[in-house]
Amino acid sequence: MRRMIPYGVGIGWRPEIAGFVAALPGLRFAEVVAESVHAHGDLPAGLTGLRERGVAVVPHGVKLSLGGAEPVDPARVTHLAAVARRLEAPLVSEHIAYVRAGGVEAGHLLPIPRSREAVDAVVANVRRTREELDVPIALEPIAALFDWPDDELDEAAFLTEILDRSEALLLLDVANVYANARNRGTDPAALFDRLPLERVAYCHVAGGSAHDGVYHDTHTDAVPQEVLNLVAELCARHRPPALMLERDGSYPPAAELTAELDAIAAASGYPAITRAGA
Amino acid sequence: MSGLAARQAALVAALTSGAPVPPGFDARRVEVARVALLRKRAGEVARQWPGLAAALGPRWHGVWAGWAATRPTDGSLRDGWDLARELAARDDLPPAAGAELATREATMRYDGTTAPRPRRLPAVRRAAGTIVVQAAGRVRVLRAT
Repeated sequence: MRRMIPYGVGIGWRPEIAGFVAALPGLRFAEVVAESVHAHGDLPAGLTGLRERGVAVVPHGVKLSLGGAEPVDPARVTHLAAVARRLEAPLVSEHIAYVRAGGVEAGHLLPIPRSREAVDAVVANVRRTREELDVPIALEPIAALFDWPDDELDEAAFLTEILDRSEALLLLDVANVYANARNRGTDPAALFDRLPLERVAYCHVAGGSAHDGVYHDTHTDAVPQEVLNLVAELCARHRPPALMLERDGSYPPAAELTAELDAIAAASGYPAITRAGA
Repeated sequence: MSGLAARQAALVAALTSGAPVPPGFDARRVEVARVALLRKRAGEVARQWPGLAAALGPRWHGVWAGWAATRPTDGSLRDGWDLARELAARDDLPPAAGAELATREATMRYDGTTAPRPRRLPAVRRAAGTIVVQAAGRVRVLRAT
């Protein structure tokens, strides 16, 4: 299942902005943190409302640790699959990253080396996960503040090999592409030319801020104009079926979220979702 | 443990327990990541324990970072709980944070090592001068001092 019907501009559903999300007249695509949804208890009311309106809601896992050298925890895979069924999600997503090792939680998404050994580990874990899923999985490359010393592959070769071997889709976070390129001193748009853009299931668009001489992908700041410009560059090459605003804290007034959603619509050429009949 | 597993564990230890940065990494960048991780955890704990963070006020970030720098997360509920108990044990929990800790203690059972569970029986707990009485899930906060 490579082809998805276009959903247009979406948003990451969070309890703090549930009222704002519920009031978006043109919304057809949302994402929810998979670990925040109970596999069997009641769904959060806001999500039920979105499902009743026919909005696609994609569970986004953050704690599977697909990039861990250790096999994924079967209970976490079962939970992700159960949440996808409850939401009747068209797909699920997770990260090319690890979040724990040797029984210790990192509390964050950590980069893995761009090595053959790490590719093998990710591919094995994605296969284990796909065995339980009824729907495709999209993998998201993360923003990394540092790289491993023993990288054998460049970013594009590393991602393409993982996607090919695991038969996964790509969740391309445009803000992560921007952050990595800025922190590594590389050209962000050049990566687009070497990725299999037809495999992009959807995109994240988020904000960040620079301090300590490094750009941090915070999801708690405004989306920079540079990231919106990259959205336009990506869509000029191959427009993904959905692009969503990802905000995880320090929620601004509704007018600012509205302006960011409209800016993503303008950059991608999709209709605005913030006005009725748009 | 494979080579990759051991090396992933060493990196987690550097970021969460104050272990040395593994050879070959850009130590300055790993340090930036370590500090960013502590800041992110501080925000998560402050959301779970707003009374604690507010009562410490300008001291919050320093107290948090000093405590958390060598302690990997057990989740923000338990992290905040462990810190609040430690502060209470050395009489350093601000009175304004007492009601929050005493309420949690009275409504949930937490052994310090596994996930907290709701209490079924009535309980009375005290923290930083505040007494909390819980019966049948209903909570009354009594200021003792």
